[in-house]
Amino acid sequence: MFEEPFRWLEAISTRHSYVQEKLRKGQPVIAVPYNEGTLMLGFSSQPGKIFELYDRIAMGGLGHPADVERLRMTLLDLAHLEGFNRSEKDVTLARLLQFGIAPALKQNFEEVVRAPYLIQLLLMEIDFDNKPTFFRVNYDGHWESFKNGAVIAGDSNLVDVVEKKIAAAGFATMPLDQALLEACRIWESAKQDIEDDDWEDPAPTLKDAFEKWTLEAAVLSTVSPRKAIYRKITDAELETLKSACLS
Amino acid sequence: MSASFSESIAQGDFIDLLNRSGYSWPNPAQVPTVDKTQLTQGTTVLAFHYKDGVLVAGDRRATAGNAIMYERCDKVIPIDDYSLMAIAGVPATAFEMARVLSHNFEYYRRSQLQPLSTEGKVRALSRLLKDNMGLAIQGVGAVSPIFASFNQKTGAPVIYFYDLLGAQFEIRTHTATGSGSPVIRGVLEHEDLWGESPLAGRDENDAALLAIRLLQTAGRFDSATGQASPDDLIYPIIACITQEGYHFIPDEEVAALFRQAVRRNS
Repeated sequence: MFEEPFRWLEAISTRHSYVQEKLRKGQPVIAVPYNEGTLMLGFSSQPGKIFELYDRIAMGGLGHPADVERLRMTLLDLAHLEGFNRSEKDVTLARLLQFGIAPALKQNFEEVVRAPYLIQLLLMEIDFDNKPTFFRVNYDGHWESFKNGAVIAGDSNLVDVVEKKIAAAGFATMPLDQALLEACRIWESAKQDIEDDDWEDPAPTLKDAFEKWTLEAAVLSTVSPRKAIYRKITDAELETLKSACLS
Repeated sequence: MSASFSESIAQGDFIDLLNRSGYSWPNPAQVPTVDKTQLTQGTTVLAFHYKDGVLVAGDRRATAGNAIMYERCDKVIPIDDYSLMAIAGVPATAFEMARVLSHNFEYYRRSQLQPLSTEGKVRALSRLLKDNMGLAIQGVGAVSPIFASFNQKTGAPVIYFYDLLGAQFEIRTHTATGSGSPVIRGVLEHEDLWGESPLAGRDENDAALLAIRLLQTAGRFDSATGQASPDDLIYPIIACITQEGYHFIPDEEVAALFRQAVRRNS
């Protein structure tokens, strides 16, 4: 069937539909700046939504956990080999994506005899001038960068709404606790702003989400004295956030 | 840089990843004959338990034979947030080991989503030393390190001394290595047993003062150990590991401590 261009295009189109349908229920991961770094958060039914990749790089993912894990390990390998063979200052997300996983993901997606990756990735990085950048990677290898925050979600309408709310919120000057609270409120209000009659959201409110799932959050902190500036938000901080969200 | 998606289960072993990427230690049989007097080496580094954790310190001189090659060598190297390695011997090998270890620990922590155990960290350095055995026996790549860390599970700081072939020994009080170490090991023992207080009872300030005096003393008797040179702003490097992780004492604080440490009794 692949000898005819039309059939190939049809196969690719079918693959897009298949992957998008599989990702549709993926819960959002949000990354935003705050006054001392960057913040990423998301709800998950099992631990493993947000990860440290390298000294100044963090990653969030949605999709099939096995695929997220394989890409996480690939990025970890690339980053650590680059940091060892050259320097930690040579490890940048733009290079890891442009010359690392993006070509491999695209090739994998377009080889229609191979199983596609069921993933979306959200990455954040703080460079050595303390400037944050956010990246979104699609299952077909397409990636984009953002300056003021970014989101991934299975529902593209939800992505559009969250992006607008992030742009309007002015996260860059907020302290961490306020940024956490605002990001959670955006997560909830964006869900309420979109309507989807075809699918019932298992957790349309923060109250539902806190009851059903685990909230994971982590920061890259520009005030950290350590070489590796990633820090998971502690259980105590999350409890305070939960109280603030539900009050 | 290009990705190939790994099919294997992640083991968290960075050395294995390096080997798969074509990296390996030099084969001693293929190392040409080297004039050992041209190899950069020489050192005094020390570590001891004090009240809040462990202190690790070292002089700054690197020598090749009788020649002083460098006076600002950092011989206490951070490995991860809770671990330091103090190096004596050939810096080329020692710095490489520190780089491998640092990436190894961080790679493990990030890939396995938990820190490597202190026992695992201690063994990792032992493995590197064992792999370096050929060069050490030839006398061209010998490294005699001290590894200090804070065991987060037990809440206790640890110091390990290694021989050239990788045997590890846990040190409960104090240790020193390098060409100047024989001069100060007896002093450390004397201070611990009959000094004003045992080493483990001293605060960071007193521990740092002692470290400075010991390194000055080692430099007095060992030409491969550099004394401080205030005119050139060269001071010993001193770091501490506590339950909050490691921290280096800043140069300006070491300078002030140095002035206090070397003042003589009238």
